[in-house]
Amino acid sequence: MAQPTSLRLRLTLLFSIVATFVFLLFGWVMERSIEKHFEMGDIKELKLISDAVIPLLQSLNVNQDIVQIKQRFDDILIGHHHPLLRIIDRSGNLLYNSPELDLAQVPIPLSSAPLRQIVQKWRNDKNHYRILIQSANNDTYTPYTIIVAISTDFHQHFIANFRLILWGMVLLGILMMSLMSWLAVRYGHRPLRHITNQISHISSNELSTRLNPNDVPIELSDLAISFNDLLIRMDKAFDQLSNFSADIAHELRTPVTNLTTQTQVALSRIRSNEEYQEVLYSNMEEFDRLSQMIADMLFLAKTDNKIDPIEMEDVDLYEEVQNLFDYYEAWAEDNEVSLLVEGTLQLRCNRLMLRRAISNLVSNAIRHTPKGQTVIIKLDRLQNRVSIIVQNPGEPILSKHLPKLFDRFYRVDPSRQRTSEGTGLGLAITKSIVEAHGGSIHVTSDELKTQFQIILPIQLNKLNSG
Amino acid sequence: MKILIVEDEVKTGEYLRQGLSEAGFVVDLVNNGLDGYHHAMTEHYDLVILDVMLPDLDGWHILKSLREADKTMPVLFLTARDSIEDKVKGLELGADDYLVKPFAFSELLARVRTIIRRGTKTPRDNVLSIADLELDLTRHRVIRAQQRINLTAKEFLLLELLISHKGEVLPRSLIASQVWDMNFDSDTNVIDVAIRRLRSKIDDDFENKLIHTVRGMGYMLDTADKI
Repeated sequence: MAQPTSLRLRLTLLFSIVATFVFLLFGWVMERSIEKHFEMGDIKELKLISDAVIPLLQSLNVNQDIVQIKQRFDDILIGHHHPLLRIIDRSGNLLYNSPELDLAQVPIPLSSAPLRQIVQKWRNDKNHYRILIQSANNDTYTPYTIIVAISTDFHQHFIANFRLILWGMVLLGILMMSLMSWLAVRYGHRPLRHITNQISHISSNELSTRLNPNDVPIELSDLAISFNDLLIRMDKAFDQLSNFSADIAHELRTPVTNLTTQTQVALSRIRSNEEYQEVLYSNMEEFDRLSQMIADMLFLAKTDNKIDPIEMEDVDLYEEVQNLFDYYEAWAEDNEVSLLVEGTLQLRCNRLMLRRAISNLVSNAIRHTPKGQTVIIKLDRLQNRVSIIVQNPGEPILSKHLPKLFDRFYRVDPSRQRTSEGTGLGLAITKSIVEAHGGSIHVTSDELKTQFQIILPIQLNKLNSG
Repeated sequence: MKILIVEDEVKTGEYLRQGLSEAGFVVDLVNNGLDGYHHAMTEHYDLVILDVMLPDLDGWHILKSLREADKTMPVLFLTARDSIEDKVKGLELGADDYLVKPFAFSELLARVRTIIRRGTKTPRDNVLSIADLELDLTRHRVIRAQQRINLTAKEFLLLELLISHKGEVLPRSLIASQVWDMNFDSDTNVIDVAIRRLRSKIDDDFENKLIHTVRGMGYMLDTADKI
């Protein structure tokens, strides 16, 4: 998928579009209002003339001298912007026509409606005019058709000039606006660049650095806060990782030291076959422990990092627990511990992984149960979750140990590290499996019993390596 | 039975050869992929043990070329990489089994024997026996020296596993996975307890002990005290 358009370009474009729209509207309104203004002026002048002509016509006497009449019309026209006038009587005889132009070409609408005056535009070969026509109707008391015309070329010329300047200004305005918005956006993004710069300078050993949410504009404080949260999580993960590496080194050191010492001592002088054999057997125990540790750590790494997709199937947990009991039965009997399961449960999960998780809890429980007592597994369905409880009576685990119980290599009693209790990864593995299934695990411990509870969500259809 | 080992790690290869030779196999060892491929193409082997990571020609390549040349001998992969993808890839290419390093030699030996036995396809008997012990699979009955012995279902399975691998050392992990379907190592001595119980029923009342502990490796069912 292509990268989304840059914010700067996007904002600049948006601003430019808005500016263009506003300027165009402005220009259009300006032009229209100027035109309107001229039109109104023209009409006013035309009416003024026609209003002056009409009383004159009414006062006309048939006997008056034609030259004298013309003179009086000429007088009316003086003082206006070269208007033209033509008057014909009802029978079509020309009474007056301005000497400059014969207005006979002007089309006279043959309307019989009681329309007294029309104003319209007219043009001949050379010039543009606005004309007023007062028709001679039968009803009207003035039996003349009056045509008054004013040249609008001067206005047209003015408007054309004005338009050129106006649209030039509009174009310039749009360009200016685009440039300004580009600069403004660039300036506005400065805090963003600043924070980016800050972030880019955080290296892996400065994970304790935090961004100050008050240093950035309010819109970015959420980003700063989320980024800080991310830093905290990473810091923690990094810590865990380095602690884990240290733990591994420590855990490996002991068996390797044993191996080295034992072997060196054995080789330091000639010994009997039996003694050599004894050394080899002892070595093998250490090797087994190492292999086991490696296998467990690999399993943990795979589960934690979700390297392989988890294959889900419908599992009858009651049956699974019975199988586990089958497996542990003899050993439990040896320890004089009984096993009991309560409830039933159907669950969609990875059978092998969950078996392993529960198995670790069960073997732990059996190990810590006093003789003659019972390990109880309770299977229960809550609303949209399931609960698997493994509980055993016995000595309580001190509360200071509880939060660390699921940590890798954590042992309640450090001196028991080298006994047959395995790699110290069992509970970490259980937790990892439960979390890979989207669930959680909790432990409580008191005088009566120690209890591990696994809570798993029921809908797990889409869980995989994503 | 002739086995070819293709393993670039010199020490691992040497010990595998020694171990398998002493277990009665004829073993050829080569240290690189090209030699391995050449040997496998020109000579007859009952099994090829193939390391996946080889410097020149990796195990998958060799296997693919072998199968394309219609060489159908069983192949067992050894690998340091443990991911399902790798497993699936190996099995899809026609590998017969897959073992992740580090592995126990007894585990390898057990798997090698299983694969080779699979190849020979001996018909399965309904009655398995060793010395005066008889295991009737159809009637689910165990008889030793004409005496009927009552076993639980799991004990019967355990005995069946031991007796069908008589003379072979079975590691605890293999027993756990075959009898109880537990495919992970438990940090308990569950298997030892189970064996002890089986022993008390099978061996305790008899002079001739059949179940032997092979220290550090596992258990074995055999007539004579070999260890």
